[in-house]
Parts: sequence; structure tokens; C-alpha cells
Amino acid sequence: MEAVSRKTITVGVNGEQYEREVDARRLLIHFIRDDLDLTGSHIGCDTGNCGACSVLLDGTLVKSCMMLAVQADGAKIETVEGLASEGELNGLQQAFSDHHALQCGYCTPGMLMSATALLRENSSPSEEEIRKAIQGNICRCTGYVNIVEAIKAAAQ
Amino acid sequence: MTETTVTPERPLVVEEGDVKPGFIGQSVPRKEDKRLVQGEGVFFDDVKRHEMGYVHFVRSPYAHARIKSVDVSKALELDGVYGTLTGDEVAILTDPFFELSTPPGANIKDYALAVGRVRHVGDPVAAVVARTRELARDAAELVEVEYEPLPHVLDGEESLKDEVVLHEDAGSNTVWSGVFDWGDFDAALVDADHVVRIERLHFDRFSSTPLECSGCLVEYNRGTGQWTIHGNHQMPGVGAIWMAPALRVGIDKLRFVSQDIGGGFGNKITLHPQYTACCLLARKLNRPVQWTEWRTDQHTANTHGNERTFLDVTVPVKADGTMLGFSVRAIDDCGAFPRYEPLGCIIWAQVTPGCYRWRNVRVDFTQVCTNKSPVAPNRGYSRMQHLWLTERIVDIVAGELGLDPIEVRKKNYVKHEEFPYETPNGCIYDSGDYARCLDIALDLVGYDSLEEKRREAESRGKLFGIGIGSTLDSGTNNFGQSMILNPELQFSGNNEVATVKLDIFGEIVVTLGTVPQGQGHETTASQVVAEILGCTPDEVNVRAGHDTYWNSTAGFSGTYASQFAVTGLGAVKGATEKLAGEMRQLAAAVFGCSPDDIELVESQARIKGNPEAALPFMALGAILNANNAGLPTDLDVTLNVRHVYRPPFEKPDLERKYGNLTLTYATQIHACALEIDAETGVYEIVDYAAVDDCGNRIHPQIVEGQVHGATAQALGAATHEIFTYDEEGNLLTPNFYDYHVPHALDMPPMKTGFIESTSPFTPLGAKGMGEGGGAGIHAVCAALQNALGRRGEGPIVWRSCNPYESVWDLLQKPEETRKLVSVESR
Amino acid sequence: MLLREVEYARPASVQEALRLLGANDGARALAGGQTLINVMKARAASPDVLVDLADIGELRGIELGSDGTLEIGAMTTYSDIIGSAEARARPILGEVCNQIADVQVRNRGTMGGNVCSNDPTNHLPPLLVAIGATMTIVGQNGERSVPAEEFFLGVYMTAVGPGELLTKIFVPPGKGDGFASVPIGKDGTCIVNVAASLDGGAPRLAIGCVDAVPVLLRPDSAEDDAVRAAVRSANLDPPWDVHASADYRRHLAEVLALRAVAQAAGRT
Repeated sequence: MEAVSRKTITVGVNGEQYEREVDARRLLIHFIRDDLDLTGSHIGCDTGNCGACSVLLDGTLVKSCMMLAVQADGAKIETVEGLASEGELNGLQQAFSDHHALQCGYCTPGMLMSATALLRENSSPSEEEIRKAIQGNICRCTGYVNIVEAIKAAAQ
Repeated sequence: MTETTVTPERPLVVEEGDVKPGFIGQSVPRKEDKRLVQGEGVFFDDVKRHEMGYVHFVRSPYAHARIKSVDVSKALELDGVYGTLTGDEVAILTDPFFELSTPPGANIKDYALAVGRVRHVGDPVAAVVARTRELARDAAELVEVEYEPLPHVLDGEESLKDEVVLHEDAGSNTVWSGVFDWGDFDAALVDADHVVRIERLHFDRFSSTPLECSGCLVEYNRGTGQWTIHGNHQMPGVGAIWMAPALRVGIDKLRFVSQDIGGGFGNKITLHPQYTACCLLARKLNRPVQWTEWRTDQHTANTHGNERTFLDVTVPVKADGTMLGFSVRAIDDCGAFPRYEPLGCIIWAQVTPGCYRWRNVRVDFTQVCTNKSPVAPNRGYSRMQHLWLTERIVDIVAGELGLDPIEVRKKNYVKHEEFPYETPNGCIYDSGDYARCLDIALDLVGYDSLEEKRREAESRGKLFGIGIGSTLDSGTNNFGQSMILNPELQFSGNNEVATVKLDIFGEIVVTLGTVPQGQGHETTASQVVAEILGCTPDEVNVRAGHDTYWNSTAGFSGTYASQFAVTGLGAVKGATEKLAGEMRQLAAAVFGCSPDDIELVESQARIKGNPEAALPFMALGAILNANNAGLPTDLDVTLNVRHVYRPPFEKPDLERKYGNLTLTYATQIHACALEIDAETGVYEIVDYAAVDDCGNRIHPQIVEGQVHGATAQALGAATHEIFTYDEEGNLLTPNFYDYHVPHALDMPPMKTGFIESTSPFTPLGAKGMGEGGGAGIHAVCAALQNALGRRGEGPIVWRSCNPYESVWDLLQKPEETRKLVSVESR
Repeated sequence: MLLREVEYARPASVQEALRLLGANDGARALAGGQTLINVMKARAASPDVLVDLADIGELRGIELGSDGTLEIGAMTTYSDIIGSAEARARPILGEVCNQIADVQVRNRGTMGGNVCSNDPTNHLPPLLVAIGATMTIVGQNGERSVPAEEFFLGVYMTAVGPGELLTKIFVPPGKGDGFASVPIGKDGTCIVNVAASLDGGAPRLAIGCVDAVPVLLRPDSAEDDAVRAAVRSANLDPPWDVHASADYRRHLAEVLALRAVAQAAGRT
């Protein structure tokens, strides 16, 4: 095995297989947004604090700006685009709308992925558990009040 | 007192729970949500074009330096680099952006890139365009810039001395200065039983840091000489006024397009330098170019909120606690370039006496440049700083004279029965009931059991404090106030546009002039249209976002200054009413009756009392657009109506600096209870209430969301968010590691309350309310003050941002801040 | 956000990783990347080669020995520790891991990455020093064992030399531990953190954020006066930065030392 600066990788995103050649230095978020044109996941910082780029990698919640695309070779990725089926919002998405848990909507995709990860592990989280689950997702519009309410409602 | 006609269509105060007919006042589902929760929004960075290049700016590492040379040759040699732009080119290809100030500020030369000199760390010196984002950054590192460092100045007061001058052409760091003097302050001093003096207060530098940073994708059409800017500018009308003359083109050559914007809060109002650079690059390289600002860039070199120092605050007070006004010397630090400034030198005057009946106010205001990032109108712009001053005055005076901060507020508040209330400088507070809002806030935090809570906290070794922040969110500017700063400026009044049409298949299409960033304009506009046309909001298609070429914009179009509920919806209402009139005219022509006989209900135009005689909207649209033979020749109907809403403003009296500067005043009264760990200075907000009165609420859920968000931003600004510089002028909080915005775990439990005092001046009785006036900052400062000391003892909370160490410091050395305050009693 | 050019390899064994690390002076091991990728985004560091340890199964996992010693693979994530039944043998480990950053970072960040980056504000360096952990380092010339208190050498510097790898962390049994910190906000960067352990005789205290490496103190007893005296006699000279002055850090060190010891005392 030798180290390479460019590599062909295969990833599954929302059930679709993609094979692309990428620079080793390319961040996973840029691969998803720019190379695959899946622009639902966002970038809100450059230090891994804001969580707008959160995706599920083999079922685990990660920030896609904190890893390289080549690290995801062979992985299955879930992004916000995979939550609804055929245009029908899932329960969590609907709860976000019902409870006005989004204003500008920029943090929303990452927030939804964090909430998805939480609810898969814990179907009836407490308010404290919800806040802890989204502590890595910054929202500058809502003060989190309605986001917490929406996740509570979706859990029920 | 100006004579004012008050004709509220609804009772002045509407109790929560009242059922309102129609769609206005209902929390209908937001139209924006469906795309946004699926990741199907379109933000600027989502837009791609074939063969586009990525822009990376080369930025200054120095706070102040002369640029000796810029050499881009190595960058150009890198494979995949498309081209560069330097300050020298910019100086040839463009004119400086116009300045709003009188001299000295008027003489400042501000370009798209630094010309000859850099004036803050992060100041863009050159730009590189390359095939990938990474290559553009690689190439930017290869640009060789030779600097000759110059002495710099980072402090506003220091800058006043002009020992280091940032802008040679201006010859001074002062951008603008002036004295505002209303009532008779000297007489008030004579009348006073006590005079309280506060030597110094400081409002710290922070910003709302929208989660989406700035950026754009610019295309140049060589054939027409026209640029299309897919961006997130939140005030493109004014952006174009800056850019077109600088680029030496007509204003129609600039087309601004945006769909979704990831928050703005004022931070996206002064993007004209970066956008101009991108326009030049798109033209020079003949390819679309895309610029994405990163978080560090935004913190370092985009926009901050105004930093303001208040000196020699003097407050005459009567024995019964009535305050007669105040005088102050204010020094506002706008950073390296004024850009939207010096408007902040007058905007505060919209709320001159805060919520209080103070008649004698003297303000000596000076704005200066420093070698720090420029400022822009951050949420609560300029009023927030001033309202923080008024609230600090109330709490410090109460503390020093042993008055109850609640009672002293109620004694000095403008009374419910006094509205509309004219302030000493001629602003008209339209409606409100501050004392009632305060009572609700106190009730929500259980003020009755305050002493019990204090004892309980003290038994756990904590210091307990409670504080009030009472503020006004003034909305719908009269741009005539700019003439108080500079009589030469040709700006006054305000306007906003909406276009409403009934299309061929009966589709109702609404085009706004605004540039929403999360405020739900599509939704609230549809409510207003549906209510007037007798259909449902679902049947109303409000175009998402903004496009200059939709021709639905006017000079002041944009989303800023708490005004959509007034100007935006005023325009929608006006256009829809015109359209409704045309629909009735058309139906009347078809039925051969009078338009007065036609009513619009259930998505039909029908003859009153005869529901069988009905034309569905689709029929109206089809008849006019595609089947119009035989219609009366004098039927002047287009079913496509553009309306400009223009608020009722006069030009101010420039001599007296007097006039109505803004149309509406929403009220926010907040109450904060907190506990301090005296050993560490760490404090925690344990109870919090925000009470809002924005007149008639169009969409209560959206209003409450704005309250939550404005509060969160204020709590961040009060506790941790501060732009701190080191001695060399490097920003020490350039990212979300070091600049700690509230996380989900940081937010306290929050209770909200509302009353609705209808505005007598606006089309829907509503008021703009998005900014919140920084009530949370004022409330936290007041609560800290309350926890830290009793009458005449304990430290003085003199800064707006109080991180844990500051609180610990205040506790360690109370005498250091105590000496800032003195009382003279007669 | 945009990294400099870099080469990448993902070996399947420690031996292969060592070979790759040894083959290039500019090679660095990539663990969870929750520090290193960030540093590379800022272009504050730009390794020539990244040797991704993700596929090396032997570096992952938590085993509880018969004597109660925990053997933790360097690539074990914070979330692994938090969720592990074995790791509860030393409860403080999961508790502190649960205070690090956020869910996403805990899911990828590793024990080994945390200690090898040795950012002075990290949680684990003082904790592992206080509880007397031992690190196993492997190089071309074999394996050696280094106590935590000798592992940390300077800011971003540890006993892991060029071409070497941290493979395992051994944690002795115990439960009389405490951890106290003042972060920025509820969950931001630590301004000061202190770990305390009262297991195994004399108290061990390790103070973080006040020096390039955790400051280990051994007060005579767990009494307040003894702890206070130990902190004072350490003559701490903490750094000043935008989040705290040296004075404030020095003061917090003392307050938090008392709190960490009090928590530990409540658990013995």
C-alpha cells in the first residue's frame, strides 16, 4: 500500500451508489455538496463547531467537514435529502414545520440529522437529552426553543 | 404635540386567546418549510455554473500598513488558476464607493480591494480565481505582498487624538460628530434633587453571526454588459446604489438574485466591496466566479456591530424618583471603514428617551475609525447600544438612590394613556403599555416570591439577582434622518413594493420586493392576500426570494430595520386591494352589473346574494389573458398590479434635529433571574421571561420565533460573544471555538408573553418586531448588578458583555467600578 | 476549510502503519481527525502524508482485565467509552468523555487522538495523569510503556516520537475520582479543568489549561487545606489568552481542585 494524493472512492448516499475520483485533501462536505451536488447539507463554520454539515456515516452522526472524502470510501451516508420519501415529509420534518423549529432553514438539515440519530437510539428523550443531542448544532435564529419542542413532539 | 388622528380598527389591547376571523392573526403552516426541511432550499453556495471559477481573497496580516507591492506572478503560474485582481486594477477600473457622511468622513476612499494601504487585519488586498476552491487558496498563498507596517489604533477614544490617521484623504479619524440638545438640560439640572453621574459605560463589539456566511456567484453577460449576482445581500436596492456608480454603469446592469438566505441580521447589508470585486473578476476573466466567505473571514473582515463608549453620563433626578433626562458623550467605533455609517450616529435618536418620559436630553456624539473590522447594522442597530445606556441609567440611578428598579421604571415609563407620545426630538411612539408588559414579565418569573428565591439561592452559596430590560424595537425608518447627518443627502421617507397578479390558470402570484432570510415573508404575504381575495393561503403562490428583474423593487427594498409587517405587507395589501378591484370590475363587465355588486369569496367572484352567478378565479384569469374578445374597450384591467407602499413621513427639521424618524415602536420587556457562583464568577440564568407587544400579530408563531431568536442573540452578547483584539490588531475570537454563541445547552428556560397594542399608523395595525432591541443584554446586566450589590455598595456593571471572569473581577475589586459613579444630593 | 495537498493511506495493520509513518518525515497518523483535520483546514499544519488508522482493528476496543485494569485501544472513540459496560469499571472515564465537545465529535474523536494532540485545554490529559494511566507506544524498534505523567511533553508534543504510534492506554481500577471544570458556556472550551483521584493512597490531582502539560500535584491529604496548599506551592504560571487572565486561571485552579477532590472523596 502506498499513500496517494488522488483516489477513486465509492460511497452510498441515501441508497444511491456513487463512484468518483477525488483529491485526498477534499473534505467530505465539499465532496457531497460540490461533487455530488447534494446541497442540502450546509457549511456554517470552518472549525467543526456548527454542525450544519452533520450527516450519518454508517449510521453514526458525524460532521462531514471534520473528515476527508477518502475516509468515507466504502461507507453508507445518509443526508437530509434522504429523510422524506417521495416528497412526503417524515414525522420529524413535519414536527419541525408544525412547531416553527426553523426560520432561515440553514442549520435545519444538520439539526434534523442530529435529531434523527437521537431518536433512533432513544425514542422518548427527555428535554435534557434532546439539548445534549443537538449541542453540536448551532442555530442563530430560533434560540433552540421550538427545535426542542419539535423533537419532543416527533418522539411521541 | 403634533396632532395625530388615531383610528384603531380594533381595540387597543387584544387579550391572548381572542379568536380572530380570517387568516391574518393565525399561525398558518409556513410555506417556506417544506423545501427547507428537505434540504431543497437554494442558498447562494448551492448555485453552480459551467466552468465557474472560485474566488479566494488575499488578506492583510497587518492592522495598518502601506502596500509596497503586490506580485501575483507566482499565483498565475499555478496550473488551474484563471486570473487575479489587485488593488491597483480596482483603482483604475472603479470609483470609490460614495460616502454618506459630511467631511471628514465624506473624504474617505473605500474601494473593493485595498488601494495603497491596508487598514485592518483581514482587509482584502488581492483576489485569485481558480478551477477549485482548494487551488484558489493555494494560489492566494503564492501572491507576494510587501508591506510597510504603520502604527495602528484600536481604541475609539485613542483614535480621536488623530495620532495615527487611517484615511489620509479625510485627514482625521473622526467620521462624523455633532451635538443633539433637546428640551432644557441645564434647567433640569437646576430642578433636580439628586444628580447621578456615571463616568463610563462601554457597549462591547459583537455581531449576530448568521450561520450562513456571505458570498455570491456572479455571471457577466458580455453582450449586454449586465451582471447577475446570485448572492445573499439583504438590501440589494442600496447595494446597487453603491455598486453601479463605482462600476460606472447604470443601475439596471446589476441584477441581484437570491432565493434562500441563511440569516442576515444586518450583517449582509454591506457586501458591496466584495461583490464589486467579483463583478470585476467575472468581466475580466469572462467566466462565472463564485466567492464563499468562510467563518473566519466573516468574523475577521466582514461586519461587526457598533462598539460604543458612553462618557460623563449625567442624570438629574427628583426626590420622588422622577428622572428629568440625561446628558452623555458618546464615542462610536465603526472600525476601518464607515460603509453604512455614519447612519448609526442618528439611528439611536429614534429611541432617544428609551421607554421613559424624559424631556431633556443632550448627546454629544462622535464616530471614529479604528484599525478593526468595519461595522454594519447588526440586529437592533444603534438603538440597542442606546437603549442599553437608558437601562443602565435606570438601574444605576435606582441602585444609588435606593429606589426599587421596578417602581422607578413604572414611574418613568411613558404611560399607556399618553400614546401616541411625542419624544423630545419629535418621534411619535405610536402605541403601547410598558407597565402592563412589565407586570406580565414579572408574573412569568414569579417576582412575588423574589426574596424567597434569593434566600434559597443564598443557602446554596449562590448570589441571586433579578433584572429588567425594557426596550423598543423601532421599525420602518424615515430615511430623512440621514439628512440630519448630512443635509446634502437626497434620501427621505421609505418605500416597499409588491406585485400581485391573477394568472391565466387562476393562479395568484405574489412578488415581493423584500429579501427574506427566515422571517417567513412568503407565508405572511399569503395570509394577507388570501384574506382580501377570499381564498386560502394555499392558493397564493408567493415567489421565493428576490430578483431585481421581477421589477418589484424600489429604492429602499430589502429586509432590514423591522419593517416587513408594515412596509412589505402594506405593499402586499395595497396591491391586492387594487387587484381585487380589478377582479370585481372584470366580473362586473362579464355579468353586466356594477363592480359594487361583486364579492370575492371562496375563490370566486360572484354577485352578492346570488352565489349561482359566480366566476372562479381561473375563469377571470383566462378571460382577461386569453379570451378577451368582446370585453368593453374602456375596461382598464391588467390583473397584474404593482403597488408601492409609502409610509406617511415628513422631512425632519434639520436645524433642531427634530422629526418623526420611524413609524412604529414595538415593545419588548424582559425579566431575567440568575445565580452567580461567587467563587468562580460563573453564572446561570435560572428563569427568563420575554414579553412582546408588536401591535396586531399577523402570524403569532413567527412573532414568538423572532422573540426567541432575538433573546438568544442578546443572551449570547451579554455573556460570551465579544470581538476581542490583541495589541497587534489580531482578532482573538475569529471562529466559533473562541467566539462562543449560545448552544442548545446554554439557553435558559424561556417564557413568553404578549399583548397587542394596535398601531394607529400602519396598514394592518402591526409593527415591525424582528430586532428586539437587545432586551436580553440589558436584563442580564441589570440582574448581575442586582446580584452583586445593594444600595451604594458593590460593583457597577459597566460593560455590555460580562463573561465569567469579568463578573469575578467585579466581585474581587468592587471599588474599581464603584468609583465610576457619584451622587450629588441637594 | 481548504486543505493543502496531502497524500493518504489507510493501512490494515500496525506494522503497515509504522512503515508508512517511517517512510516519510512529513507523515502523521490520522485517528478520529477531530483535531487534526481542523488544524489542516486552517493550514496551521500540513502533513505530507496522512496515515489513517481507521482500518486497524487491533487499535480499537475496551477490555477489562481480571485485576480490574482497563485496556483501551487508542482508536476507541469517546462514544465507545461512554457506551461501554467494561469502561464503567472506572466511571470517571465515561463521565468525562461525555463532557467533550458534542455528539458528532464524540462519535469520531478517539482516546488516542485526544492525548496525542495534547491541546492544553483537552479533558483527557489531566484525567489520565490523575488516575495513573499508562500508555503503550509502538515503534520500529518494539514496544514501550510510558506512565501518563511522563507522556505529555509540551503543547501538541508527547512521548510518541516520529515514526511511532500510541496503541493502548491502560487504566488501573478505581472509583474515587473527581473532575471539575469551568468551560466557556455550558460546553465550550475549558478555561481550567482539574482531575482528582483518591484511589491508591495519596491524592493525585492534575490541573489542565494552566501549563503546556497537565500539572500533577500530590497533596498530603484530601483535606481542603492540604489541597489548597498543594495548588499554591505549585506556583502556577498559567497562560493569558482571550478567555482568561493568568490570575483568573490560577484562582480557578484552586477552586476547581477543591471541587474535584470533594467529588472524588464522595465516591471513595
